[in-house]
Amino acid sequence: METQFKEVEVVNRKTSFTVKDLAVRLLALALTLVATVLLGVDKETTTVSVKLVSSLPPVDLPVTAKWTQMSAFVFFVIANAIACSYGAASLILILVTRGRNKLVPIMVTILDLVMVGLLFSGVGATSSIGVIAYKGNSHVQWDKVCNVFDKFCQQVAIAIFMSFAGGIAYLLLIVLAALKLHK
Amino acid sequence: MSSIATQAPLKSSAGPHSEHKSSMGPVLDVALRVLLFATALVAIIVMVTSKQTKLIPVAPGIAVPVAAKFNHSPAFIYFVAALSVACLYGIITGFLSVLALMKPGGVPTKLQIHFVMFDALLLGIVAAATGTAGGVAYIGLKGNSHSGWNKICNTYGSYCFHFASSILLSLISSITLLLLVWLSLYVLSKKIARRAI
Repeated sequence: METQFKEVEVVNRKTSFTVKDLAVRLLALALTLVATVLLGVDKETTTVSVKLVSSLPPVDLPVTAKWTQMSAFVFFVIANAIACSYGAASLILILVTRGRNKLVPIMVTILDLVMVGLLFSGVGATSSIGVIAYKGNSHVQWDKVCNVFDKFCQQVAIAIFMSFAGGIAYLLLIVLAALKLHK
Repeated sequence: MSSIATQAPLKSSAGPHSEHKSSMGPVLDVALRVLLFATALVAIIVMVTSKQTKLIPVAPGIAVPVAAKFNHSPAFIYFVAALSVACLYGIITGFLSVLALMKPGGVPTKLQIHFVMFDALLLGIVAAATGTAGGVAYIGLKGNSHSGWNKICNTYGSYCFHFASSILLSLISSITLLLLVWLSLYVLSKKIARRAI
């Protein structure tokens, strides 16, 4: 298996990419796309019964949870969108300039690392907000929200996992680039 | 560093210029690792010493002293844990880099590959810590009307100031890790290029 990939490298003058690289890049692109879309269309409207005046029966008010209400979610969607479009652009760039340009693999590896940092910070921000929304924080009087917006919170959790996997995929690309330099 | 890089291809074998260039990479490596250790350590210290007690009026005439500490929020506990891992990593790899600096060959390639992998992994962890603390601190600063979360930075001013500086320092830590991976990849690619000539 190892010699098979080495042969592909030698044929393409050592600066081109193997099938492994392209597959992992496609996976990263797909995962960040799914994460962006999952949180980007996340909206839930439920009715909450609120007692406005103690003498009257409780009134049902519709409340909406949207991803735009929380700045950490906005950052998450933007970060994943950037990572997704970068994945598509780098995939196309690699396939177009296969082995001919020496600068493209270096630039792609440099920007891959930036994407790792961006994706992981988006995951961290959203998961911290998610934990507060899930459990609340009694010390600062922040109530939990996920008991009301159940589907919203579940979708956020799935989006976080997808983005985390996308970040791991970009990390794997860095490791593959480093191992390629070793040979 | 770019002027030295243009001179290296002219001399094919190891001469004084390439030797000078090869000693620049490890020195910069050690310096960046020391910076990583320092910023992570200061970020942890600033976060841990952020306790502030204020008198909150709960009823007219009665004021209760309420303390705000960093371990009230799991986000900050993760922040301190992740940065202490980064701090420890900075010490260990800084020590290894200094040891490699004394040897004439520079850092061995296998070790450099491992440095790259762990640096990139740690970049992910520290970036996640920065994002986590930043998200919670932003809500603490501005509040969120949609979910009924009040801002706390108007009452606990020094607590919020500790966070802000701590998060800024961890941002510097993650940028340092980014520069370290870039530097390691650059040094590795130059080694390969020199070996191929």
